[in-house]
Amino acid sequence: MRAAEDFLESLHHRTRFLASLIPALTAALLVLISNMPVSFTGELLPSPALALAGVYFWVLVRADLMPPPVVLLIGLLEDLLSGGPPGLWAAGYLAAYWLTAKQRETLAGLNGAGALVGFTGAMLLAAATAYGLSAAVYLRLAPLPPLLLESVSTVALYPVVAFCMAWIMRKTVGPETGDDA
Amino acid sequence: MAGLGWRLMRGRGAKQFSLVLCGLSAVVIVLVGKTNPALFDRARALLSDSTEPVLSELRGPLVAAENWVADAGGIFRLYRENAELKQENEALRKWQNVALSLQTKMQRYEQLLNAVPDVELPSVTARVIGEASRPFIKTMILNAGAAEQVKKGQAVIDSRGLLGRIYVTGANTSWVILLSDLNSRVPVVIEPSHRRAILTGDNTPAPGIELDVGDGPVHPGDRVVTTGDGGLLPPDLPVGTVVAEGRTLKVALFARPGSSDVVRIMAYGLPTPPPAAEPVPPATAVEQPKVPQDTVAAGIAQRPPPPAMPLQSQSPDVPRFDGQSEEEQDR
Repeated sequence: MRAAEDFLESLHHRTRFLASLIPALTAALLVLISNMPVSFTGELLPSPALALAGVYFWVLVRADLMPPPVVLLIGLLEDLLSGGPPGLWAAGYLAAYWLTAKQRETLAGLNGAGALVGFTGAMLLAAATAYGLSAAVYLRLAPLPPLLLESVSTVALYPVVAFCMAWIMRKTVGPETGDDA
Repeated sequence: MAGLGWRLMRGRGAKQFSLVLCGLSAVVIVLVGKTNPALFDRARALLSDSTEPVLSELRGPLVAAENWVADAGGIFRLYRENAELKQENEALRKWQNVALSLQTKMQRYEQLLNAVPDVELPSVTARVIGEASRPFIKTMILNAGAAEQVKKGQAVIDSRGLLGRIYVTGANTSWVILLSDLNSRVPVVIEPSHRRAILTGDNTPAPGIELDVGDGPVHPGDRVVTTGDGGLLPPDLPVGTVVAEGRTLKVALFARPGSSDVVRIMAYGLPTPPPAAEPVPPATAVEQPKVPQDTVAAGIAQRPPPPAMPLQSQSPDVPRFDGQSEEEQDR
């Protein structure tokens, strides 16, 4: 009886551990999707930074499962897979993390257009950080319109990403409880 | 109560420390990436090799969805597009006749002049499995790498023209820097003035041109092709046409990275010079040749066939360009 209880408990721990990886894995999947050779806008808009939408969502609802080292790795994956200078989006994502974590209670309480405004702030901070770092290190100003268009397309797709992530959260990790924090 | 507060403070402090440490790490990575890009190129190649199966699997449904969306929008433009295509087809038929007569004339001249025919370049056909159109970079990932003898610097073309060149190769994948990328610089020549220029990517769909050698006039509508200078890219690959944007000249590219599903990687390099003949010592100069003269003559007459092209794709999974129509090559 005792052995069965131990087994169930260890299974519960393992399941919980695997579930705790889901935010990081979904964000990594969003990085892959962002870098697929498809464009639903006929190349009118650049690829959106979908992973940032994922990171933002998970920091709001389960910050315990999206710590800064994971955000760094997601940003680095984005940099490497998009072929861009390494570290730029990693720094941008961390800046967005800083803002989101700092204003978490306010941002988590926003709904509808308010939630979009909240994400827009995080997106713009991430884009500004990546742009500033790129200009400082590479001593060259990248054209601004593509970055703004990328921000627009990411913000436009945030509701879709948030809807999918919310569904995944309900089915797997669940909302944050006092024990998780 | 005080203990709980201390624990919370400590937890928050640890998170802040972790954030600062990660932020510094990101800055260090940016600096290392600038000073030693090869380090991250290796990581990039490893990453694309390891994610290649996932990218290939994900690609199918997403491309189908993209086509569905594109088709849904296209229904409303069918009538206008049909009329435009008919006009274009008529004009192209005229050009086809001109091209065929010119080709015949050229063949006749080449025969008369005993000209050396152009060697057909060996190539590898690859599928696009990833694409990044980002503010800081414009790249593609292809499913052919060092295993298919793809090398850094090789030209990548689609059915219309030059797309870019290879800048990182993994075992089974390679990365293409597109002509529109901010870091792309390609030597080109503008026809018919033969003015040399450098095609400079600026992350916009139409790269700029920096006029370099020569003083011929350049007009909108002039054709831009590669020069082959430096021995990296083959000469005469179609690049685009000159267009005017305000007072600056830009190039409207022929290649369409967004709709290129299958591309060709061209193997090209300057021919290696033959090894320098060793000086013949005077004492042996009068010696009789060890090989009979008739054998030497026969050897010259029967030159060995050229070596097999090493870069032809051997993989049955990879689609081939040869024999495909342009419509088949395009998505």
